[in-house]
Amino acid sequence: MSGNSNLKFFYAGIAIALLLSVLAPFLASPDPDGLESAAGGVIEESKMSQLEEMEPAVSSPMPDYSIEGMGKSGEVMAIAIGTIAVLAISFGFGKVFNRKA
Amino acid sequence: MHIPDSFIPLGQAVIYWVIALPFIIMSMRWARKELDEMKVPILAALAAGIFAIQAMNIPIGMGTSGHMVGAALVAIVFGSPWAGVLVLTLVLLVQGFAFGDGGITTMGANILNMGVVSGFVGYYTYAALRKSVGTSIAAFGGAWLGLFISAMVCAVQMWLAGTFPLVPGLMAMGTYHLIIGFIGEGLITAVVITAIAKSRPDLLEDSFTVKSDTSKKEVHA
Repeated sequence: MSGNSNLKFFYAGIAIALLLSVLAPFLASPDPDGLESAAGGVIEESKMSQLEEMEPAVSSPMPDYSIEGMGKSGEVMAIAIGTIAVLAISFGFGKVFNRKA
Repeated sequence: MHIPDSFIPLGQAVIYWVIALPFIIMSMRWARKELDEMKVPILAALAAGIFAIQAMNIPIGMGTSGHMVGAALVAIVFGSPWAGVLVLTLVLLVQGFAFGDGGITTMGANILNMGVVSGFVGYYTYAALRKSVGTSIAAFGGAWLGLFISAMVCAVQMWLAGTFPLVPGLMAMGTYHLIIGFIGEGLITAVVITAIAKSRPDLLEDSFTVKSDTSKKEVHA
């Protein structure tokens, strides 16, 4: 309804997102996710190691949500950078796209 | 459920991009039509929250973990599955390019699975259940089913790619994602939607009564 309470939602959302960014490197399970786990279970070992060796098509600056040589603090930074990037991109996108022609 | 580049041959990955593109364009049309000065902060906060919560893998036993996807949550808040497609597209772009989470060639497939399938199944299940079982349980059921169906679609893609055998792939993906969907998707979506329904009922009511009708017309048109 009012812009003020939407801004409250905005700040609460950012606070939760940044809290999650700080906690995730310590609390998140290091176990493989459902897709990786399924792959490990149903793909033959020789083929699996072949797939694992393949490099991604484009190398990323912060692979696996980490910054080289920075350990846990690097992971916190990486996820926080990502969170702020998503925030900025969606905000910018929204600003551009809501200018009704 | 982020598919890496190596899991889908390039030729097929391109096809998923081609299928995903019209959905991405439609989600941008939704943004142009429905977003206003008031809703942009909510969209941005939800997108940031979903990026962060996707980093929080929850252990589900069997040496496996999983995380929330969030398309159903965004779709329910905005009263349109296109909102879910849009937010997941933005999140997957950042995850793929900055963090190597999900391939670039396979991003089309990932947008289809996590944005389109889980957003649409999640939202319309919620919409169908909402009147009979209430907001919270409908949000739980929609989000759970949305994640499960998108995992099934992913398993079929893995089979077409020659990466997984069909039945064992469906069984493994189904088992893990039934559990991930229950905890990581269903419960979290229900808690957040219930909290929003209590603190900002206007947000859900507005988007539901006004927007769902128009978005439904768009889908059937």
